[in-house]
This record gives sequence, C-alpha cells and structure tokens, in this order.
Amino acid sequence: MKSIIETKNLTKKFGTLTAVNNINLQVKEGEIFGFLGPNGAGKTTTISMLTTLVKPTSGSALVAGYELIKDDSYVRSAIGVVPQSFSLFPELTAEENLEYIGKLYGMKGSVIKERTAYLLRTVSLYEHRNRISGTFSGGMKQRLSVAASIMSNPKVLFMDEPTTGLDPQSRIAIRELTRTLNKSGITIFYTTHDMEEAEKLCDRIAIMDKGSIIALGTSEEIKHTIRTDHLVEVELESPSKEIISELKKMPYVSSVHQTNGILNIKVSQKERIFFKLSDFFNKKKQKVLEIRIKEHSLEDVFIHLTKKDLRD
Amino acid sequence: MEYKRNSRMRVSEAKLAHNRLEKEKLVDFRKIVAIIQKNFIVIIRDKARILPLILFPVFMIMIFGFTSGNTPKHIPTAMIAYDNSMLSQKIQQEISNSQILTIRNVLSTEGEGKKMLDSGKVKVLIEIPPNLQEKIDNGEPAGITVIVDESDSSVANTARQTINTITNSISKDISVDKILHFQSSVESASQKLQNYNNQFLNKYSLIISKAKSAEASLEDANKKISGQAEILDNSLEAPTPVIAPEIKPNEANSHFDQTYLPETPAYISAKGQIALLKQSSNTIHLAEENVHAASEIAQKEDKKLKSIQEYQSQKDNVIEPVNTIKDFTGYKANILLKPLAYEEKPAYGTGKRTIDFLIPSIIALTIFQGAVMGMGRAVAGEKRDGSLTRVFLTPTSNVTIIAGTLLFYIIFEIFRSSFLILLAMNLFQVKIEGSLISVFLVVVIYAGVSTAIGMLMSSIVKSEQQYLAISMLVSMPTVFLAGAFFPIQAMPKFLQAVAAFLPVTYAGNALRGVMIKGFSLATISYEIFILLVFLILTVGAVFLVFKRDIE
Repeated sequence: MKSIIETKNLTKKFGTLTAVNNINLQVKEGEIFGFLGPNGAGKTTTISMLTTLVKPTSGSALVAGYELIKDDSYVRSAIGVVPQSFSLFPELTAEENLEYIGKLYGMKGSVIKERTAYLLRTVSLYEHRNRISGTFSGGMKQRLSVAASIMSNPKVLFMDEPTTGLDPQSRIAIRELTRTLNKSGITIFYTTHDMEEAEKLCDRIAIMDKGSIIALGTSEEIKHTIRTDHLVEVELESPSKEIISELKKMPYVSSVHQTNGILNIKVSQKERIFFKLSDFFNKKKQKVLEIRIKEHSLEDVFIHLTKKDLRD
Repeated sequence: MEYKRNSRMRVSEAKLAHNRLEKEKLVDFRKIVAIIQKNFIVIIRDKARILPLILFPVFMIMIFGFTSGNTPKHIPTAMIAYDNSMLSQKIQQEISNSQILTIRNVLSTEGEGKKMLDSGKVKVLIEIPPNLQEKIDNGEPAGITVIVDESDSSVANTARQTINTITNSISKDISVDKILHFQSSVESASQKLQNYNNQFLNKYSLIISKAKSAEASLEDANKKISGQAEILDNSLEAPTPVIAPEIKPNEANSHFDQTYLPETPAYISAKGQIALLKQSSNTIHLAEENVHAASEIAQKEDKKLKSIQEYQSQKDNVIEPVNTIKDFTGYKANILLKPLAYEEKPAYGTGKRTIDFLIPSIIALTIFQGAVMGMGRAVAGEKRDGSLTRVFLTPTSNVTIIAGTLLFYIIFEIFRSSFLILLAMNLFQVKIEGSLISVFLVVVIYAGVSTAIGMLMSSIVKSEQQYLAISMLVSMPTVFLAGAFFPIQAMPKFLQAVAAFLPVTYAGNALRGVMIKGFSLATISYEIFILLVFLILTVGAVFLVFKRDIE
C-alpha cells in the first residue's frame, strides 16, 4: 500500500524548545493510524504542521500527494480535521455550520445542500439540523464536528483526541463513525490518550515522546519490541517460604512476591512459561490451583516507553 | 448509529472529487459573501452582544440629548392679582404663553401664596399690585412682586429670567404706546405752528402775487380794448369827398376850393366810440401802472422783512423747533427705545444645539467601540473557540478572511449609524445639513479603520482576556478624545497632540463638518485623505500581523 502521509525530518522549534525533532513517519492509504504520546510530546504540533496550521522549522512532508509547504492550499482541500474541542460556530445551527464550511471549501450550492443533508444523516443529527449548535450536548457537538471535517470529502482525516471528555456512548459512537469513514476510503490519523481505544481501533500506532517517534507498528509489534518482565500470577494450595526461595533460584524468574496467598512472579521470558512453571511445581509436589499469565497491555508498553514521570 | 447511504449521495461525493482540486483564490468573492453572511447570523443570534451594540449609542444620545442645554419647563406658579385691568390680563397671558411657567392657581391673598410656596406646590409666586394700570398710565412708578423658591437653583434662575424677560417686553410695549401717543400730539401742535408761520412769512408774497395777477389782467384788458379800437378805426370808411363850394358855417372863407366831406350821423357815432375806447385803454394802462407800483412796493417790503431781525428770530424760534419736532415724530418708537439691538445669527444652519454637535462624535465613537468590541469576538474569540482554526483549515486565503471580516463590520456599522441618525432625527429633531452620501463615505472609511485596528489587536493577543485589556488601553484615548465628553479645544496641548494621531479626530471632524456645517466632500477632503492613509496603514498592518500559525 502506498503512503498518503510521508514526513522527512519534520522539525518544529519554538525558540530554544524543540517540539518536534526530525520525525519520519509514513501513514498508509486507507489505514487508521494511531498517534500516541503523553501531553507535551509534540503530537499537536505534528498535527498542526501536517494540517498546514503551523509552518515547520525544517524538514518536509507529503500529505495526500501534495507538498506540505509549497501546496498548502491543496493540502487543506484534501484533508479534514476534527479538533479536540468543539470548533464550530455555536451561534449557527448544525445545518448552517456545515453550509458555511462547505462554502469556504468552495463547494457549489447544490452540492453543499446534498452533502449537508447526507452528512447530518450520517452522524444522526438530521433531526436536529435546525438547532443552534451551541445548545448541543458534547457528543452531538463532536459528531457535528466530524461531519464538518468531512464536508469536502477529504482523503485524510485528522482526529485530535476526538473522544476526550465524552460519555461512553458518545465515545463508542465516534469510534463507530471513525470505522465507517475509514471503510468508505478515508485514511484516519487518530490521536488519543486512550490506549485501549488505540489498540481496538488503529491498524498501526506511533508513539511519540519528547518530540520523537519512539515506537511505530501494529500494537502487537510494539508490544513485542519492548523487553520487559512479564507477570505471572500463581495460586497454590499451600505456598511455603521454601518454595518461594526455590522459585527465586530459577533462571527465568526475576522476582517473587506473595500477596494474599497469590504468588506474583516476574519472569524475563514469556515463552513456554506455563509449562515451565507447571513442571516446577509438579516436581515440588505443590498443588497448583491456577496459573494466570498477564498479557502486556499497550498501556504497559506506553508507560514503559515513556516512563512514569508526570508530564506537563 | 444508522448510516443511510443511497446512490444519489454517492453521486454527490463524486462531484466533490473535482471540487477539492480547485486552487485557492487570493480574493474569493463567494467566500467573502459567506463570511459576511455568517457574521450577520452570528451577531443577530448573539443577543448578549447585539443588544449592547445597539443600546450603547442609544443610551449615549439619550443621556446627552436629554441632559444638555435643556431648561426647566412648566414651573408651577401661583398668581395673586389685585388688579383686574387689561395690563394685568396681559401679564398673565404672557406668562402662560412662555411655557416655562404654568399658572396653577390664581389666589386672592399673599398668605395663601406663601403657604403654597412652602408646601412646594408652586415654585413661583407673582403678585400684581392694585391699580397697576392706573399708576402706569399716570406715569407713576409701578411694578409686580415675585417670590421664588430657591431650593432648586436652576428652576429659580429660569423662573427669574423668564419673568424678567416678560416684564421687559411688557414695559417696552407700554413705552412704545406712550411714545406713539406723544408723537401724534406733538405732530398736530407742530402742524399748527407751521401753518401760522407760513401765513406770517408770506404776508407780502400774497400781495405781490395778487398785484401781479391784477397787473396781468389789466394788461390783457387794455390789449383787448385797444385792439378793438384799432379794428373799428380801420373798418370805418371815410365819406366820398365832394368838391363843392359849400360853406361851412364855422369855417367861412377858409377854403373855398377845398374838397368837402359829407359826414353821416353813423360815421360820427363810430368816431365817437373809437375815441371812447382809446380813452378807456389809457385809463386801464394807468391802473396797470398803479398796480405795478403797488407790487413793487410790496416786493420792497418783503425784501425788507427778510433782512430784519424779526425774520431771523422767527426762523430760530419757529422753523428750527419745527424741524426738531419732525425728527422726533419721524422716529420709530421701537428704535427709539432700543437703538442697539442684539441679534445672534447661528453660524451653521438655524438653531444648532448641543445634541446636534454630539451626534457626529457619538457616531464616530460607537463605530470605534463596536468594531473593537466586535473584533474581540470575531478574531480573539474565534481563536479561543477554535472556529477560526476551522476556517484556517479550509482553502480560504488570509486576504479573503480579512476582507470578509472587514466588509461585514463596515456594512454593520452603516446599519448602526443609520439607526443612530434616524433615532437622533426623530427623537431630537437633529438635521443633517450636508449630504448623506458624504456621511456614509466617512462612516465606511472609519469603520474600516476601526475594524482593522480591532483585527490588529486581536491578531497580536493570545486570549480574549488579553484582548479586553489591550482594547481598554486603546479605547480610552479614543473615547475621551472623540469630543463627545469634552471639547478637544479645551484640552491641554499634549492631549491635542495625541488626538492628532487618532483616527477618531478626523472622523469626528469630517462628520461634524458634513452633518452640522453642511460641508461638501471637497471641504472635508483633508480628513478623508488622512482617514484613507489610516485605512491603508492599518489594513496593511493586519495583513502583516494576521497569521495562520496557531502556536
């Protein structure tokens, strides 16, 4: 699949601060690309550059086949952006907002009418089309925002934390909508804080921290790239101190802690660990009630990669 | 979620594919119109913004219009009239006509009046003394008494002034009447004197003229008689001579051989008549000479009279006074009473009041205020909301965005100024002396300048709070130097120097010029020029400062 976004050493400096440092990434046409990172990692700056709102300090990028800097107006007509917060005109009705955006895209009146009606139906706001958008609930506003972003039928849709602050139903609705749009052929560039969401929704993920891309791939690939201890929970009928000290001597075990009769065992290798542990306890004549191998979540990976310190 | 998708929609999406490749235009009129429309909807729906925008100037003209230069009216007044003459009625009439004082009660004693004054029911007490008219007719000193409630100085002063004016006017009327009366009696005396004088001075002239006319008639008669005598004489035919020795009894022996004229009795009678006529002619001639002599004597006497002292004294004592009297009676009574009149001629149009001078300043002020406040929402607010970002994400050029925003505010200010002018015209009868086109030209340019200043400020700031702070800083000098609150000429030099750098100064001058003084476009061309310079500078600066970069 060919790339629809391709950056080359894209860099943005604000004075002495380097917000985005030489990033190189490719987003494939038709995928949902997750863009993760803690606050202040440079995600918003990257999106702002890719959507022509901020001029890069150096580097270049191709978006939907257009040079970011040279053909910025073409880039603008080929992309859509769903900002994090509601960014339409609260005084206008849902319909008026979409029509206004349509006019600014230079669309023809008849096309605007059709497209507005179609999109309002798509985001289930057609019944509310004549309502002042400022009176909408958070979820409705965000759906309207999505509709506005795809008014010009863009090739790429940037979504900047579109589910932040929404109730679960609205979050699900936005995710569903995102999938539907993606199926209709729109490439999605999706920023989120919600690791679960990213894991469920995105085909590929990039993790950004301190201005650089520190991980890129499918969520499975990323999880594999990190070398960290896995946790295994073992419930024994009668755990003893001897068993624990024996266990600690095993080469693949890093540490053992006992809490409420459950052994939390950290192992350096996940391969065949179930058999290895069963074998060990069998030899020691210990009755095992349960062995649970804890899978790495993307969040673990994320925390591992970006460390735990609190970000600004 | 339900997704209704039909084939028709797919068609419309297909159409869109072409659209998106259109190159962004620098100036896109369709988009400018869309921005103007959007701003209109936004401002009309934003009640919290539109109401102050409309009400601010309304309050301003109300406050200024109703407080500036208005005198109290219908001050309650009580009247105690002891005199029921024409004059007393006239005084009451004049007071009622003034509209400033309203006679609430006509009382019979001063005590009652004082009570009403104390209770505050009336503010003024006017007492007309008994026999007022009589006294004035007799030329005795007379006057009305006024008691004014001093608790409200403006009411007291106005009442005092009004009564004073009325008293002066009535006094003048009385004086005029008296003078007219004097003039007519003096004039008839003067006429008599003149008649007498004429008789005296012309006593010989009459004789001379009568004598001359007698002389002429006599001469005429003489001519007629002698002419008649001659005609008769010529027509008389002499008798045919007869040579006969006829001896006349009287002239015997004298001429024997002489011819002899036989005389008939008719002939003799005619001869006699001729002789008689000639005699009469001579007598008439004599009479004529006598009359002539008498006339000459009269002429000598007349000459003598004119050279003597008596004539001189007659001239001094009679002719001169008569002339003096003529000067007096010839005067117009009004001018006699008030030879030097004070008349104020309004410099521009008739009856310009404070409110007329304020309206242009208020318009200039509200345009600035409206544009600056509006821009706070339009740029700084939309920046905060992110809706400006949304616009930046569309292929719409800065020029189009700026032009759309500027044009919207210019159109909006035209509406607002028209509303303000209409209000001032209806509420305060403000008249616009110059052309409305000139007024709107200034409004358009100044609204452009103000909007550009607002955009400039909102482009620099990061938040609406910052905008509020900076706009206060910029608005302050404009508000106080606009000339609405204080006249610019009354300000210290350095403030006047500051005013020279403010667009409001030129907009105010131009609007005042057109609206009050009726200046033509040519007369305010300097102000227009400076405003255009401001427009170019500020709009230019907006293009430089207004960036898409959201940082």
